[in-house]
Amino acid sequence: MGKKRRLSWAVMVDGRAIWTLNAVPKVSQYGESLRRFKGTEYRRWDPTRSKLGAALSRSRHSQYDLLPQEGDTCLYLGAGHGTSLSHLHDHVCGMDNQKDGRIIAVDLSPRCLRDLVHLSTIRPGLVPVLGDARKHAAWGIMVASKVDWLLQDVSQAGQTEIFINAVNRFLKPGGKGLLSLKAASERFSDAGEKEVFNQVRVQLEDAGLTVEEQIDLHGLEDNHCLYYITN
Amino acid sequence: MWLWYDWRAAAVADSNGNIVDVEEWNGWKDTDAVCSRMDMIAHMAMTPEAERLSERFPDAKVLIHGDDELPDANWPIPSSEALAALDRAAILLSKRGVDAAAGDPDRRLEHILRASDELRAAYITIEGRLVEWVGLFLPEARFERDRSALAHKVINCSNLSELADEIGIGMPPKGPTDAEWDSLHDWAQSVLEIKNRLERMEDVVRELASQHLQSLSALLGPILAARLCVEAHGRARLARLPAGTMQILGAEKAFFNHLKTGSPSPKHGHIFMHPWISRSPRWMRGKIARTVAAKATIAARCDEFGGEKWDQATIDAVADRVETIRSENSTPPSR
Repeated sequence: MGKKRRLSWAVMVDGRAIWTLNAVPKVSQYGESLRRFKGTEYRRWDPTRSKLGAALSRSRHSQYDLLPQEGDTCLYLGAGHGTSLSHLHDHVCGMDNQKDGRIIAVDLSPRCLRDLVHLSTIRPGLVPVLGDARKHAAWGIMVASKVDWLLQDVSQAGQTEIFINAVNRFLKPGGKGLLSLKAASERFSDAGEKEVFNQVRVQLEDAGLTVEEQIDLHGLEDNHCLYYITN
Repeated sequence: MWLWYDWRAAAVADSNGNIVDVEEWNGWKDTDAVCSRMDMIAHMAMTPEAERLSERFPDAKVLIHGDDELPDANWPIPSSEALAALDRAAILLSKRGVDAAAGDPDRRLEHILRASDELRAAYITIEGRLVEWVGLFLPEARFERDRSALAHKVINCSNLSELADEIGIGMPPKGPTDAEWDSLHDWAQSVLEIKNRLERMEDVVRELASQHLQSLSALLGPILAARLCVEAHGRARLARLPAGTMQILGAEKAFFNHLKTGSPSPKHGHIFMHPWISRSPRWMRGKIARTVAAKATIAARCDEFGGEKWDQATIDAVADRVETIRSENSTPPSR
């Protein structure tokens, strides 16, 4: 048994593993293991399945800052099948949305939305939206006021521009933004992955954002880098 | 003057940020009504409240909630109850979007085409095994001509000697046990069954493709048209491809290898399946593929953007063109 640390009311680090308090007891969302610590059930956050989980376990000095506050309003662009999202929900909303949080999950693919709609029925506080992360006009109205926390994981060309636009449009001043960047999605560059990552950092700084930490996810999620920014 | 609106309310503020007039909509308890409002806004239309205020204040600048240009003012932000209604509407809208995907011919075509490909692969292996299996017991039998009739013959026989008579050859000294023969018999039955299933499936592909890609199916045949459409991830994307991409669709591996290492570029992808190309001599295939791909992009665009369906005369003209290329290049290039 490693030494346990708490990142928040619902998130616990035990040695290398990260655990979140299960908001839907006895249900494993994507085949992750469940375990009881002192009578309450936790789900293991698999860092190889979730980029947010990978960033949490790799972060050097912002491990306590990456996640939103409980009860925050969050925007998740490119929610996929809801792996990271379910852990985020454990933390932001909790069981029956006791923390009164709101997570807006946007994805383009109807196949992913199918899973997200199902997730939203058992996890109140989750709002699935079928839409293109680039086209704010179609779904922007769902975001009633600016959000406290924004994560983008879209893996398509021009990820950085999409992120900067989204931050300007939706993120509260003083909010936190996370950009998960897939190097292979950017335009083919001879310079290689390191160069792409540095270029993106410069691009983010030029847009007036502060890059708090640049976390290389190599080993957990290859060719990916996660930027933690504040505006 | 500014006119602010969102899905539930609209308001006008003067240049100092004081609210002058507000219109609110109280129908938000009905989730369906909220959904249709969302649709309205997604299509950049103004809500009735915004319209009314816009008539009252024609010089106000109309901007939707969240726009950067809007000044700070005490805009009537929705209550938490209204926000909960909005969340319910969002879930309903997503459900509808997911349901709508079932009506999308591109996705339906993809599943049935891939399924029939998988079935065909399975058919070829188990049919091959049947021929080998029978060939082990009846070494004199030759099936090069009609392998497909073999399954029928095996099913109609109740033991190996009947089968030998049926094929017209003598019995070998050693045969299978009864139980072994039963297994062989069952195997033949599944060969036939899979074959019928495959044919039914390909008929469905043909039917779907001929509706979804009328002109392209008329030009290239429905199966090939369906394959191109699936490879391009949908008709909308297929119709936007340049002819050069259409030509090598399905030859991505060779193409990227060409870009990386400078190996010869692929001249044709799936389009090779068309007899105009596969039945032509090697040296003219590239030229024909180029012409046919160019015509195919036009046909795909006619399908996507509601153009006229290609008639037989148009297709004959392409066939003539292919014939011209064949006759102009009848001698192989010298090396």
